[in-house]
Amino acid sequence: MSTAPNAQSPLVIQAKGLVKRYGQVTALDGADFELRAGEILAVIGDNGAGKSSLIKCLAGATIPDEGEIYLDGARAQFRSPIDARRAGIETVYQDLAVAPAMTIAENLFLGREIRRPGVLGSVFQMIDKKKMLEESIARMNDLKVGIRSMTQAVETLSGGQRQCVAVARAAAFAQHVVIMDEPTAALGVKEGNMVLELIRRVRDKGLPVILISHNMPHVFEIADRIHIARLGKRAAVVDPKNISMSDTVAVMTGAKSVDDLPPEALAH
Amino acid sequence: MNSLKAKLPPMGTLGPFIALIFACLFFATQNERFLTLQNFSLILQQVMVVGTIAIGQTLIILTAGIDLSCGMIMALGSIVMTKMGADFGLSAPVAITLGIAATAGFGLINGLLVTKAKLPPFIVTLGTLNIAFAITQLYSGSQTVTEVSDGLTWLGNSFRIGETNILYGVVLMLALYLITWLFLRETAPGRHIYAVGNSPEATRLTGISTDKVLLGVYVLAGVFYGLASLLSVARIGAGDPNAGQTENLDAITAVVLGGTSLFGGRGIILGTLVGALIVGVFRNGLTLMGVSSVYQILVTGILVILAVMTDQMSRKGVR
Repeated sequence: MSTAPNAQSPLVIQAKGLVKRYGQVTALDGADFELRAGEILAVIGDNGAGKSSLIKCLAGATIPDEGEIYLDGARAQFRSPIDARRAGIETVYQDLAVAPAMTIAENLFLGREIRRPGVLGSVFQMIDKKKMLEESIARMNDLKVGIRSMTQAVETLSGGQRQCVAVARAAAFAQHVVIMDEPTAALGVKEGNMVLELIRRVRDKGLPVILISHNMPHVFEIADRIHIARLGKRAAVVDPKNISMSDTVAVMTGAKSVDDLPPEALAH
Repeated sequence: MNSLKAKLPPMGTLGPFIALIFACLFFATQNERFLTLQNFSLILQQVMVVGTIAIGQTLIILTAGIDLSCGMIMALGSIVMTKMGADFGLSAPVAITLGIAATAGFGLINGLLVTKAKLPPFIVTLGTLNIAFAITQLYSGSQTVTEVSDGLTWLGNSFRIGETNILYGVVLMLALYLITWLFLRETAPGRHIYAVGNSPEATRLTGISTDKVLLGVYVLAGVFYGLASLLSVARIGAGDPNAGQTENLDAITAVVLGGTSLFGGRGIILGTLVGALIVGVFRNGLTLMGVSSVYQILVTGILVILAVMTDQMSRKGVR
């Protein structure tokens, strides 16, 4: 279906030598990062390995003390999550992403409502509900999210469906990258698979995805490459097709060093 | 089944209306003077001040806040308006503008303390309740301002439809409800108020400045209190430093009876109008029955607790 990403695929995001200190604690200690076009890159790491600081830097939620971030080869400096969003990087947060009593259509467009044409929209800030509804249906169909009514409140949906709404919103507005922070953490098996399926469709539409997850089976099922964070650095980038889950965890925890791995296990 | 359920308005929106109808039916059987147009016009007059305050209160409660200072700010506004006219001979439009500026300014203080100092609205407005009351008493010397120009009381005039007198002030209150209803339903800032009350974190993450929304809501509420000051002056024909004391809690009562959730993010502004009318109908009906006013307060108290219980239970049902 999709063209498999390879070493020749262009870099969408590149970070070099990111450093982030919180007082005495060094969360990032010269971390590198590379995301290629059209791939799902999983980011894994123990607690305190620096993966959430890394993601926060990429999503604009944290400003790194040192190091550079490049977006499509050009230097990017994000001062806030809104900067990152303007640059086309959308983030899906684990649990906080939707307003429960509002409708699906409203949630998809929250903060980016389509205004009515003319003075009604520009001066009175009136929103075009009909158009938002049509667009919502089109976008959800596009991603094959099987939710019938866009006018039902999000709280009437299951946890998996809610997460699908959050993912669909990110995919609909992201120009470059979708970052997903533990999107399946709170979900059951069936619901989790539903979200994984959706993440795959997002990639197949051409958007690269950064997936932060603790769930190894999910990571191995869906990721094209796995970035292993350890002690504030990038320990390795591995190829899930050529490495076992236990070896991956061993690198993550420091039980094995990268040099112990067979060369084909590393991704390029 | 599911789609039918989605189409029907939730119990929270229909409940208050049904309660209002039942209350009217009950009082109609108790006293023949209750069910007359003239009496309904009177009820509207009686609720126009609290009804207007309750619009501002609804906006704040929709953001999961609360404003205990609303009635006191309203009283301050009415003193500023009347004293500006009486002491400095300012024309009515200027005096009214200054009065509304004072109430909006207090709204701004509430909003800044909630957003910038990050204090809970309950505590902030408990403080400003006392501050506004004290300023009102000091500024007025605890004296009623009786020298009031016609421009300030114009809204107390009425026009006739058939046999019924209708106050201009009542028309203003109803118009304010209509405008606020459209604002909350049809505009982006209106929807953001619901979003902030629903989930502040999710709203912030979509790039909406929740502080701006909250600040706007508290200032806007102050403007509504200022308009209520004007209605109060028009109704009493004077600036009363002791006004607003029953309205203070009645406004919250109206919002809660109207089905707006104290947890924020849910509610319809027209429900608040119904809530204010329920309070007004009970007061009026019990008076017509010759029941002492202490029982009216008792009944209001019971109604509030029932309304909050319904809110609590319907929320548990959803979760």
